[in-house]
Amino acid sequence: MAIKFPSDEWIKELSSRLNASEAYEKSAKNWEGDFMFVSEPDALYPETVYLFLGLYHGKSPEAMLVSSLEEKPAGYVIRAPFGTWRKVVEGKIDPIQGMMTRQLKLSGNMMMVMRYPKAAKEIMNCVSTIETDFGD
Amino acid sequence: MTGYMGKLLRVDLSAGKVWPEPLNLAYARDYVGGSGLAARYAFDLLGAETAPLGPDNPLIFMTGPVVGTAMPSAGRFSVCARSPLTRLWGESNSGGFWGPELRFAGFDGIIVTGKSETPVWLSIIEGQAELHSAADLWGLDSYDTQTRVRDLLAEPKARVACIGPAGEKLSAMAAVMNDHGRAAGRTGMGAVMGSKNLKAIAVHGKAKVPLADPDGLRAVVKEITEGLEEDMSAMSIRLAGTAGYVDMALMYGDAPLRYYQQAEWDDAGGLSGVLMTEEFLNRGVACYRCPIVCGRETRAPNYGLDQVDGPEYETIMAFGGLMMVGDIEAVIYAGHLCNLYGLDTISTGCTIALACELFERGLLTAEQTGGLEVRYGDALTAHRLIEMIGRREGFGDLLADGSQALAEKLSVPELAVTVNRLEVPMHDPRAFSGMAVTYVLSSRGACHMQGDMYMVDTGQGPAIELGVLPGDRFDNSEEKGRISALSQAWRNLYNAMTLCQFQNPGPDRVLQALNAITGWDLALEELMVLGKRIVTLKRLLNLRLGLTRADEVMPELLQQPLCGGSEGNVPNVEALLAGAYAEYGWDLATGAPTPDTVTDLNLESLGS
Repeated sequence: MAIKFPSDEWIKELSSRLNASEAYEKSAKNWEGDFMFVSEPDALYPETVYLFLGLYHGKSPEAMLVSSLEEKPAGYVIRAPFGTWRKVVEGKIDPIQGMMTRQLKLSGNMMMVMRYPKAAKEIMNCVSTIETDFGD
Repeated sequence: MTGYMGKLLRVDLSAGKVWPEPLNLAYARDYVGGSGLAARYAFDLLGAETAPLGPDNPLIFMTGPVVGTAMPSAGRFSVCARSPLTRLWGESNSGGFWGPELRFAGFDGIIVTGKSETPVWLSIIEGQAELHSAADLWGLDSYDTQTRVRDLLAEPKARVACIGPAGEKLSAMAAVMNDHGRAAGRTGMGAVMGSKNLKAIAVHGKAKVPLADPDGLRAVVKEITEGLEEDMSAMSIRLAGTAGYVDMALMYGDAPLRYYQQAEWDDAGGLSGVLMTEEFLNRGVACYRCPIVCGRETRAPNYGLDQVDGPEYETIMAFGGLMMVGDIEAVIYAGHLCNLYGLDTISTGCTIALACELFERGLLTAEQTGGLEVRYGDALTAHRLIEMIGRREGFGDLLADGSQALAEKLSVPELAVTVNRLEVPMHDPRAFSGMAVTYVLSSRGACHMQGDMYMVDTGQGPAIELGVLPGDRFDNSEEKGRISALSQAWRNLYNAMTLCQFQNPGPDRVLQALNAITGWDLALEELMVLGKRIVTLKRLLNLRLGLTRADEVMPELLQQPLCGGSEGNVPNVEALLAGAYAEYGWDLATGAPTPDTVTDLNLESLGS
């Protein structure tokens, strides 16, 4: 059954799939830094949504929908309108291409991100396996 | 006239004469500057019979209109001639300060012909040019040469371009070095300089580039500088240099390993630019007025070096991944040796890696190498070979002519990973199909600076308004080929202006800057016309020099699929080329521009 995006259930599902992924574990074995995905309002989805994804040494210890950046501070924040996130989840925008073309805006320690592009790819591989409902 | 100093320096080394001549403004308007303008001058001087290392081969140093202005990242210059490595049109460009300083000394470019009977060096100070004996400089490495020339001039602010021992020994991989470790590396321009017995060119002056609209330029420069704060690509380059791309390249399968034959390697993580930054970086080093600061100064304590220029991404992968050396400090030292001898790190690294491959296959023996075991992973032997190449000593004499010559000597030309005899750089076309067009149609042979689809398809520096659009990196369609051609034309314009390819504020801002500097009233669509005209001029030049359609092939080893980041993709060269040819308006059967294209690009004056 498809899981609604953005939602607490969806980010928890991603966390669960990362914990089951050997490829992710290998590629992110020394990664330290939590992510906050911020879905900003646009014509398709009028609310701001904050999805927290804990990431530590190749595992995802926790994940949840939160009400603000302050509720659960994360080292890395990626912002984009809902419509852009949808394209990322659907595989229509490569996340690295999206960041380079400023469709996705990242803040955090860039040097760490540059060191772990393969981990980002494995996260996207897990995202692509989640059957997602965008509320159409 | 604005945007140009309005003068070229002509140098006839056979006669020992130097003289200024007015810049041909019609040429400048049509071909802009840099390698575009140099190609136009070369078209008048180069014939099929011109020997690359003969006195008639014109060696051209050329700047472009943006160089030495307030435009950020406009510190580059081109060095051009018929290449001794490819036997076709050769061009290379370099950053630093030498290009702007040549303009401050009063000249847009230098055309050197002839050959001096004895070694000489050239000074151009405040508009005055003079030849000097280089008897005491011959044999010096590139760093000592630069220092000695400044001492001889008693001018510490002079900027020096020179050759090292490799150029003197006419290695086809020899670079022209400037501003410490900056290199115009590709296509053997250092050998052409060496063939003329010209050791160095020192420049210094205080002239200013005349501007058509200083206020307009100031305004767009402000916008460009502010825009950099949101440019992720520029930001990552500033943090870790081009070396910061290593991890991403490995992920995409863009970084070649074991002479382009291996997809993944656990030890490759040791080559990370981020690790290099953490453990070996002294500081970032900028070219003239560049806020991006891609240059690196590193150290290699195990080699007794506390200051090394570089390495950048290409050097790291050429001496690291390609020859399976995972020790970044050993790679730093390899780059340093190339700088000392004045060698192109890409061609040199590729040629040594090919020797490793041939040795492993039993096609090269210790008897032929003078007893050396040339093995993957052996950094010490690689260092030794760089020195032997630089001096043309023993087995190094064979390597000094590049990969294709080595493979031909051993009767296995198909194993050299070259296109038109130039070694393929560290961007695997199996990871980005569009790079196949870039390499096959590049006027100087396989080159990532004549179009950069690996950047476009990762979202770095696309020129959306001109149709250079990011897309699927494995797309093998004619449409992808068409976009690759547009990327190539756009970057050829960059190499003409001459603007660094890491400075990507978008075509609109580039156009505003170019118009403000030159006083031209170019429209956006004319930028692509300029780019295509320059590409097509170089194509006509290469056809004259012997290029045929049969030469437009990918090397055999790059036609083998790999697992890993490139996911088994092999570019469909014919489909991609069909799109590129259509975009350029070239005849797919003959490789020549069609009569309509010649007319559309105003190239009729060049003849058939």
